[in-house]
Amino acid sequence: MAGADLALLLLILAGIALRGGGMVVAGRLRPDHPLVRWAASVALATLAAFVAASVLAPGGALATTHTAARLAGLVVAIAALAWRGGLLLPLLAGLSVTLVLGAAL
Amino acid sequence: MIFPIACREALGAPALAMAATFLAFGAAVQAAGLGLGWALASALLVYGMPGQMVLVTAVATPGGALPAVLGAAAANARFLPMAVALTPWLGVSRARWLALPFIAVTPWAMAMRRLPGLPPEQRLAWFLGFGLTSWLVAGLATIIGHAIAPMLQGRALAVLLFVNPLYFALLLAGETRAAPSRRAVIGGLCAAPLVLLLPPAWALLGAGLVGGTLAFWWGERRGRR
Repeated sequence: MAGADLALLLLILAGIALRGGGMVVAGRLRPDHPLVRWAASVALATLAAFVAASVLAPGGALATTHTAARLAGLVVAIAALAWRGGLLLPLLAGLSVTLVLGAAL
Repeated sequence: MIFPIACREALGAPALAMAATFLAFGAAVQAAGLGLGWALASALLVYGMPGQMVLVTAVATPGGALPAVLGAAAANARFLPMAVALTPWLGVSRARWLALPFIAVTPWAMAMRRLPGLPPEQRLAWFLGFGLTSWLVAGLATIIGHAIAPMLQGRALAVLLFVNPLYFALLLAGETRAAPSRRAVIGGLCAAPLVLLLPPAWALLGAGLVGGTLAFWWGERRGRR
């Protein structure tokens, strides 16, 4: 087995262990158990940190767009969410602004 | 029947976010010189983008694949708190284990919004419908991304990569009506600078652990208001 294949197999097994471990731990807990609430808080905070890092200090190809374009897209998307609700329209509005400003800046 | 309703809910904005991310991933795998089988196995069986990207970047480096497994697993370690938070909503039957492969950010984030408002007997079926549809979209997008990799360069790739954070930002903005979620989001934003300070593989989880734990304590001190 090549190194890339073995690495992939190990990562797949790690994912099963992480997901399965969480399901075993929480299997008999109620949604309002402190451990469950703490885990939800950590997961949401992780997501928020990911969004902040992706908008303000991304790496890779995403860094090739101007920060102002990403920020403007985010602001427009959230404004559209507050104005119209839903997810698809705000997402497309934010992407359009990022695309147009990214080309202009 | 809640299952087909959940399948339809997964199409639209969630499908767009999944498709954009996995298109970019399929292209990255092709650029690393790996085949479609590897790309599909990674997309569908790992099904956690940060870890997938860490691994595909590492395998392009000679001798870098195996040492990168730990970093890739750490990048996906958020599966553990996500599974802990989600499982109590899926009931106590053994059938809930069917949900295991679908625990990933997009289905999880939507499930934490939808499941509390559903009758308990419909929750697992909703998650399986949403999760399966998202999973299939991810697989299909990976195949397409692998096939059209040369076309996904520069600005097109950057915009594709921006879909996911923008989609998650919208989900989080919708979450901030409830005080515990609002505290967690604020905690995560405040801890975000740690992403730049910690080793890349641990950065997101480290920021989430610090921000989420502080937010949890903040809530406990305020009596879960």
